[in-house]
Amino acid sequence: MVRVTGNFQSESPLHPKAFEVLHAAFDNGWADPAKLSESSAKARALKNNALETIASALNVRVESLVPVSPTSLGYFLGIQGLAMSSKTLIHGATDRKDVFAIAAHNPHHVMQSALDGKLIPTPSDAKNSILALQVANAETGVVQECDAIIAATKSELIFLDATTSGIRLPRGNQFTTALFDSKSWYGPSEIAFLIVKDAAHWSNPLPHLNAAHPNFDVSLPLLLASAVALENFSSEVIAANLEAHKFNSQIRNAFSALPDVDIAGELDSSLPHMLSASFLNCNGEELLRAIQSDGYSVDSGSACTADNLQPSHVLAAMGVLTHGNIRITLHPGTTQSEVDGLISSVARNVEKQRS
Amino acid sequence: MREIDARGLRCPQPIIELGKVISEVAPGDHITLLSDDPATEPDLSAWSRMTGNTFEKVETAKFLVTKLR
Repeated sequence: MVRVTGNFQSESPLHPKAFEVLHAAFDNGWADPAKLSESSAKARALKNNALETIASALNVRVESLVPVSPTSLGYFLGIQGLAMSSKTLIHGATDRKDVFAIAAHNPHHVMQSALDGKLIPTPSDAKNSILALQVANAETGVVQECDAIIAATKSELIFLDATTSGIRLPRGNQFTTALFDSKSWYGPSEIAFLIVKDAAHWSNPLPHLNAAHPNFDVSLPLLLASAVALENFSSEVIAANLEAHKFNSQIRNAFSALPDVDIAGELDSSLPHMLSASFLNCNGEELLRAIQSDGYSVDSGSACTADNLQPSHVLAAMGVLTHGNIRITLHPGTTQSEVDGLISSVARNVEKQRS
Repeated sequence: MREIDARGLRCPQPIIELGKVISEVAPGDHITLLSDDPATEPDLSAWSRMTGNTFEKVETAKFLVTKLR
């Protein structure tokens, strides 16, 4: 078994500071914050503190912050909570499957994607539409021109999917609900934060008796770890973006020099830490395994690596080659030698597969 | 006209088979590609753009490819 020296998968370990705090969090934050005991009061104080930290880092009012677990439930709450009935859901062809699942049960319209991954907005009946807009794509990192799409569709209710962009991009202010994913700032996975800007436009779509007691709350120790990760990553994100941009540019240049490669989207209109490249006549699964045996783990959007044997709907919607695909995510701490090693591993294995 | 029966083959095999045959025919020639792999249609779009050839979907699992250069 080859030791993995470079992790270029979308998944990554917890932020070291969040890891440190978890132990203390389970020690102090085990009680139900809603009860009246002394330990509950302690837990309540910890919870409020964590929510204040998160709200401040996301630059939103703490009253507008709704912690949600798991993340996929956040899509349902954020979209379906906007009084969906009789409204048309407008969303992108490159959105997450969670959005497609909600659209399947509602009147919907899909905005198509151009080759560069930018969505082509469709004018709508403003009063009767909800716009679900992904700020940056989860597979390619392509960033949408949100203001232009919002202006063109004229929807009055907007759900922003910021799960991938997180705090790596400045957040626009035109939205009704927005969803953030703790994983995007190296916090624990399956914790999300729904921002409900104006409570008058949103109601809990899940069956419930008391609106004051949400039935999708998150584990307190994990909430605390997420807050610590966010607080720390907030001060590191500018440096992390610059470093990732440098490595991303090196990788794109090296891949572009190989014959018959299709890279999804341009670096300057994408998140700096992500890239997706497809190599003609290569098998994605074999490529991923060969690169892994050199010590570098990557992801793939090719059909042969998916459990349903369907190619990535994102690549297909863009018109980018779906076979021979690898996805690379650059995390803080990635070194120049890991990047060099990855580049030569990909080049060597692509050539080997084609011969 | 050449015909490639790639039915039952998974990606990237249908496109690899097409790549072999396309190099053996002259510009202007047509090739029929039979493929039931779900990745073939999106990949033919990308392949056409990357190689400068064209294709049209004739029916389910049947594509007519034209070599342009």
